[in-house]
Amino acid sequence: MKTKYIAATIVVIALIATGSFIYLYYQGQAGSLPETLINLVDDTGYKTSLDALPNRIISLAPSTTEILFALGLDKKVVAVSDYDNYPYNFTAWIAAGNMTSIGAFDNPNMEAIASLDPDLILTTAGVQAPTIDSLRNLGYKVLVLNPTNISGVLQNIDLVGNATGKNAEAAALVKSIQSRIEAVANKLADVETKPKVYYEVWYDSTSLWSAGSKAWQNELIEKAGGVNIFVDQNVDYFQASAEAVIERSPDVILLPSQGMGFGDPFWGNLDDVRARPGWNSISAVQNNRLCQVDSDTISRAGPRVADAVEELARFFHPELF
Amino acid sequence: MNEDNVETSYFRRTSRWKSSVILLIIALVATVIVSLNVGYAQISFGNILAILGKQIPFLNGFIDSSFIEPKDALIILQIRLPRIIAGVIVGSALAASGVVYQGVFKNPMADSYILGVSAGAAVGASFAILFGIGFSFLGLRFVQIAAFMGALLAIFIVYNISRVGTRVPITNLLLCGIAVNFFLYSVVALMEVIAGNELKGIVLWLMGGFSSVLWSDIWAVVPFIVFGIAVSFLYARDLNLLALGEDTAQHLGVRVERVKQVLLVLASMVTGAAVSLSGLVGFVGLMVPHITRLVIGPDHRILLPTSTIVGAIFLVICDAIARVIATPFASTLELPMGIITMFAGAPFFIILFRKKKQSYSL
Repeated sequence: MKTKYIAATIVVIALIATGSFIYLYYQGQAGSLPETLINLVDDTGYKTSLDALPNRIISLAPSTTEILFALGLDKKVVAVSDYDNYPYNFTAWIAAGNMTSIGAFDNPNMEAIASLDPDLILTTAGVQAPTIDSLRNLGYKVLVLNPTNISGVLQNIDLVGNATGKNAEAAALVKSIQSRIEAVANKLADVETKPKVYYEVWYDSTSLWSAGSKAWQNELIEKAGGVNIFVDQNVDYFQASAEAVIERSPDVILLPSQGMGFGDPFWGNLDDVRARPGWNSISAVQNNRLCQVDSDTISRAGPRVADAVEELARFFHPELF
Repeated sequence: MNEDNVETSYFRRTSRWKSSVILLIIALVATVIVSLNVGYAQISFGNILAILGKQIPFLNGFIDSSFIEPKDALIILQIRLPRIIAGVIVGSALAASGVVYQGVFKNPMADSYILGVSAGAAVGASFAILFGIGFSFLGLRFVQIAAFMGALLAIFIVYNISRVGTRVPITNLLLCGIAVNFFLYSVVALMEVIAGNELKGIVLWLMGGFSSVLWSDIWAVVPFIVFGIAVSFLYARDLNLLALGEDTAQHLGVRVERVKQVLLVLASMVTGAAVSLSGLVGFVGLMVPHITRLVIGPDHRILLPTSTIVGAIFLVICDAIARVIATPFASTLELPMGIITMFAGAPFFIILFRKKKQSYSL
């Protein structure tokens, strides 16, 4: 009699133990998220932890959209801004109802964002801080990417890879960007004279804007084997004078293909540039080295940074490329 | 007989005033309810009622909310409702302080920004946008605190430059206000030039709007605004007497300098608090008092409360328009509200003014 009881007790205990072991094992399986989702630190120093791999991502800026699509997250992006145009023609997608727009990226429509129920929002500092504050206050997970140089972009790609479970893809993308920029550097290793470069941000009858040493384009120009004529200005974008440009006589003038990202170039056509008062004394004008650059590749701190460096290097050192 | 007439006309006036205030309150409630239905997200009126009902204690047990999506509740309670309430508060604040300024200055061009409140707030906000990103104090945004501080500082400066002994002549206030306004706006322009990435933030702030307002932002300003408006209501009779001229008012027993001081400080505090929440919203403080005066008449005892409500209605409508103006073009673009207030308000005022211009008096 007694042994029966003991045996029964042992069987029951064994069953419970096995059951709970299996239960705990599967619990552990289900609960074990990639560690990379915890304590993601963005460019504002804010720490975010995700509860699961995001499936409904909203990208509020063109550069963050480019990173997401470069990592193959096409299916997970549920909305972009009105300004996004790469790698696909999102305006057409939005018109056809295949993508949702959140409006202008610097003043997004909060209701449009909320109605998509996103589990991750990527943005740049171009989206205003109060908006980002509000989104976080409403309980959304927001990563702010605000790189000021190429290594910042590479870090951002890693960060997005971590947040979305695309670590391997991110590492591969970073490696390919690095090696392409290195290849340019290797070709330029023996170059002795670097052209002086003037990058025009804006020009009209009332003002002229260029880029100083803190501007994103300054590093691109350096990596491509040029020297920004305003590298001594310790700011990002600033209002320069036409006299300063003429006096520093750049060897190359870089003109973005679109004014402020939209429509026709603000500088008209190349003849208009040559006809600016006093500009015929500039070396770039005399030697016809006015270069049109794609305004998106040169101004977006995104995965096309290697394209920008290669394009600039071709302008600066046509004999090598 | 004569006495009888005075009495009946007094009662008639009182009941007319009462009914116009009641009508306007009904109109405000209706505007709020309609604008709750206006927005990018399509949420049915029944669902909106259920979402709101769920928030009412005791009643919420009777409401079946199983069909409500959490994101819809979030949109109504955390995005749309705060905007509407912010519209009510800022609209009434700007309109009420506009009435007070126009009454004290006896000048139809006076508005809630005349003493440099707007420029001071703009300097504070631009500074915060440029240098204080992400910083907050007791859960309040730095931009909001800095705008409020800037507004108060500007008034303090204007007031002290204008002061002659214990008196503050109106002309001095007007001129100093204008000078300080120009000076401070040049500071804002300077900050815009060096702003870089944050330029758009400053520009949007200067155009005003509620696109990302939170409940905490609203609670921070409500005490200032409610207190300021309530106390200025008590001075409505004095404002009527001031309209007869400062000397006459003095002889009729109004402590003119004291009343002016109290009203200017209150109105500026109310405006500063409102602007810190909304950014610079033009037109409301200048035109809403005029529009109300055209319809109701110049008596401050009724003008002040009615303008306050009309301002609230006006701004709630303008924000609703700003929210959905681009929707017919299949776009999610949202306009800054300040554009709407001026674009819609100015023609409205001109039409009303042409109809009533003969009988207009301040």
